[in-house]
Amino acid sequence: MEKTKFYDAVDKAPLPPKGADVLTTACDYCIVACGYKVYRWPVGTEGGPKASQNAFGVDFPTSALGAWVAPTQHNVVTHNGRKHNVVVVPDKDTEVVNLTGDSSIRGGTIAQKCYNPDKLTKDRLQRPLVRIHGSLVPVSWDFALDIAAEVANHVIDKHGVNAYSVKTFSYHFIENTYAITKYARRHVKTAAFTFHDTPSDVTSTPGFRDAGYDNFGAAYSDWGDADALMICGTDPYETKTVLFTQWIKPAIESGQKVVILNPRETAGVAFAKKYGAVHLDLYPGTDNVVVNAIARIIIENGWQDQDWIDKWVASKWETDSGFGQGTRNTPWQWRTTWGKFQTKGYEDWKKWLFAQDEYKLENASKISGVDPAKIVKAAEYMGKPIDGERPKTSIGIEKGFYWSNNTGNTEAIGALAAVVGAGGRPGQMIARFGGHQRGGQGGGKYPRNLSPEKVPGRRRRALDTDRWLVSGHTRMAHVIGTTWIQAMCGTTGLQAKFEELVTNNQHQVRSKDKQEIIATLKKRADSGGMVVINQDIYLIDPIGAKFADIVFPASGWGENDFMRANGERRLRLYQKFYDAPGESKPDWWIIAQLAKKMGFDGFDWENSNDVAEEAARFSRGSRKDFNMIKVDAHAKGITLHERMRQMGTTGIQGPVLRIEGELVGTVRLHDTTLELPETGAEKGNVFNKKLTHFNSQSGKVNMMKSPWGLFSDFWEWMKPQEDELWVTNGRINEKWQSGYDDTERRPYIKQRWPENFCEIHPDDAKKYGIKNGDEIMVYSKRVPIYKDTILGVKGDDYQFSSLMKNGHIDLIEASVKGIAMVTPAIKKGVLFMDFLDKRQPSNAIQARVVDWISGNYNYKMGVGKIKRIGGSIYQKEQHAMSFKPRNITGA
Amino acid sequence: MKQSEILQPEAHQGKGKCGINRREFLLYSGTAVAATTVMLNIPGTAQAQEARLAQYPKKLIGKLSQLKQDEPVYFNYPDDGLNAGAMLIRLGEKAGGGLSKKQDIVAFSSYCTHQGGALAGTYNKQYKTMGQCPLHLTTYDLTRYGIVVSGQAYQSLPQVVLELDGDDIYAVGVMGLLFGRNDNLIG
Repeated sequence: MEKTKFYDAVDKAPLPPKGADVLTTACDYCIVACGYKVYRWPVGTEGGPKASQNAFGVDFPTSALGAWVAPTQHNVVTHNGRKHNVVVVPDKDTEVVNLTGDSSIRGGTIAQKCYNPDKLTKDRLQRPLVRIHGSLVPVSWDFALDIAAEVANHVIDKHGVNAYSVKTFSYHFIENTYAITKYARRHVKTAAFTFHDTPSDVTSTPGFRDAGYDNFGAAYSDWGDADALMICGTDPYETKTVLFTQWIKPAIESGQKVVILNPRETAGVAFAKKYGAVHLDLYPGTDNVVVNAIARIIIENGWQDQDWIDKWVASKWETDSGFGQGTRNTPWQWRTTWGKFQTKGYEDWKKWLFAQDEYKLENASKISGVDPAKIVKAAEYMGKPIDGERPKTSIGIEKGFYWSNNTGNTEAIGALAAVVGAGGRPGQMIARFGGHQRGGQGGGKYPRNLSPEKVPGRRRRALDTDRWLVSGHTRMAHVIGTTWIQAMCGTTGLQAKFEELVTNNQHQVRSKDKQEIIATLKKRADSGGMVVINQDIYLIDPIGAKFADIVFPASGWGENDFMRANGERRLRLYQKFYDAPGESKPDWWIIAQLAKKMGFDGFDWENSNDVAEEAARFSRGSRKDFNMIKVDAHAKGITLHERMRQMGTTGIQGPVLRIEGELVGTVRLHDTTLELPETGAEKGNVFNKKLTHFNSQSGKVNMMKSPWGLFSDFWEWMKPQEDELWVTNGRINEKWQSGYDDTERRPYIKQRWPENFCEIHPDDAKKYGIKNGDEIMVYSKRVPIYKDTILGVKGDDYQFSSLMKNGHIDLIEASVKGIAMVTPAIKKGVLFMDFLDKRQPSNAIQARVVDWISGNYNYKMGVGKIKRIGGSIYQKEQHAMSFKPRNITGA
Repeated sequence: MKQSEILQPEAHQGKGKCGINRREFLLYSGTAVAATTVMLNIPGTAQAQEARLAQYPKKLIGKLSQLKQDEPVYFNYPDDGLNAGAMLIRLGEKAGGGLSKKQDIVAFSSYCTHQGGALAGTYNKQYKTMGQCPLHLTTYDLTRYGIVVSGQAYQSLPQVVLELDGDDIYAVGVMGLLFGRNDNLIG
């Protein structure tokens, strides 16, 4: 039986003494990537409260915002084989990102992440494991790698490259993602490759790509410099905390007008509302109609930014000019084949917009459940001139928005941005706020032509690795730093398939002999079963604990020197400051050994810097182009990592240029106010179009249609019937991006969030007899599962209603448990659960049907019923959880 | 259905005492539970913590008969140094570590454990919470040992350990580190 863990409320914490080593890093968690300092000193000594006695050089106690060490900011690690104290605190001296040395609850306590055999991180994976007789047995690296390499080569030779599927994190440092993509996409060349948050390797924001916006064009200052800020599908306070507390909150306090599109009211939303923010509390999946209704009202009133539109929106001829992505095989191009998206410029788009009934205010209000007066007010905030001056308007989006109606929503917001002149000027930008940090660096191109999935009309689409697996085509699954199963939708069916292909296959290893193990695993693959490699820092259930045949122990943050960028493309070095546990190794090293054993060339790196220097060349022209940092480093006779180390927590914003021997960062992309040197791109610099223009052939913004009809059949089908409610999900501040550390290994967070929860509106709760703290079950017999890998022939073959009609959708049952939280902070008719609780994954309820244009899941779309199971201990005991609403603002 | 095997607060009730003493506070509070779970095999831990509490001064901070529901009484503890401001409150509903028959009298530091923001004046009588902190918007649940409801603090709001002697309410210790201090007893 599971015990509730409790927080040890200690009342002192060690101060680093004078002379402690000081290293810089950045937080490992959310996109914001606050700068941190690590103070390290041998155990046995401690600093004192006088300024002369501690490494901060200040007298304790300190006042608000001063240096401080909370007990959770201290840990004991091994450094060079010797025990050391570490204190990891936000950098109080920083002039970027986390001004004033701010931090979130996640980053603030990141010291707890370090491996410590006396703490809850003691279960870090330390040795390679191979499953023998059903148990994972420690083996040597060579033993595990030999098996993996030989079985992998066999699977590839006998069943084709796509039988070897790689599912990997996209963000966990440039060195690792470079090595993994080089291996999987350039050398193995498998089309069965994708990242942790999508079943296929596709763009997250198709509308941004079509319009020409980079996902991360904005600088953090732009969010604060806007007069009006539209926030779509997130509360930045919860999920990009310091972006809110340091950049947006002060702006709100100085009069910034905020528009928030989100069915839920959390702390940041409540705070903004105190200052007059408009909260558009919509039903899941209806963003598209609200956004287009706002655009319509703005244009009806003549509030559009006509000067911007005239200068920066592509005309008919500019729109037709091929987009520089080739005239045929572009993601944008095939869509135009069917006339669904492309327009002949602004006037044509406007004509289309006004011809759509659903975007009329009254209809949009009816579909979305948002008060029409609030939609009008949002339009006023974003467009209406004040004393003849247009407001500077910016738009930030995140997953609540682009994982609801992926293509429709992102196309719609792209057009609205052009209407209000957002994109391309300080304080007037459109971008993602961001989720994970930006640590992806492609080391090889996705082999699209090897994908058997083909979009009607023209091109092949990146393979949906979930459907591919469910169809039985995956014979070896290589899973790196993700749960795969719980992170996808309709997870129950996915887990059952893993069981069938792996655990229930007759070929199970029952010998300690390497060759016999290899022979057995080959037989499993040949018999239609599947072999699983899992590479991670902990043994994850079920992918590692139940399914993995081979487990590679990875090392991570603080255990190697790594590079990564944040949501304003700021590159920093995340320094190694302690010894990785046991024999764990960085992912790039693991991949390199495997690749070499499989016979691939080009993996002879000796250290992390070697990988980064090789990757630099491949970053050229990208949003985090860091090649010139390497050039600068070599000119100074040092390595790329050394040069990065010199830049500390400040780092530098990509793309990085080198002008007259000095490194120059790029504050924002598509910066129409930026002046580049007249001499042009000299000495290795790349002046990509995106520096001063948009990512389109003409460099201007493409006005795209966003038809509701591409999505409405799915939405109508999903819409709650009878006793059903919408079931949506999202993140929770206290453990967002850090769940793998927090949920299981931080007593305090475990105490705050011991189980998954379910927010329910008081009216709904009353109807179903549910009280705060009740254990509830959310269940559904209507979880649609898109099961087949099909070739699209006709234009609407991938449309939901066609898939349903043609028998490609199964309906399965699923249920998840949680603790009820009755709160008016969630819209009536909508349930909200934590997105990534591995034990009770709310994704089990969500539709496993990809957005048919883009190939992404619309994770926020689910429907189900709720019932009370009974009371819970949290109603009687007062140690864990809290049932207070998250939108309390004060007395 | 999960259930706690660790402690049943009800078992400590009905002993004919009008409040709880330090030892019982430990049993009620997270620390004692940590002692029986996380640090199960470390003998003497609970005693060590009790010994630690014994170092705190005993300070008279209020009278039971004069406390009115939802009206905070401010005091300094454990000294008059920086960040020693605290608040005694009768919540009107049962709270973790609560004093009196109703277990509704608690006391907490009035400085946010994130970056030291002043929480005085943010008590919400409908929800029995402190916050939002003016600096970074953290809120705390006073019915649940000061746990973070929403926000960025690194730990719960430090709870002042109370003792009731007749009508007198004494502060006798603090659970959790006060902001800005490296040791609660070094002011």
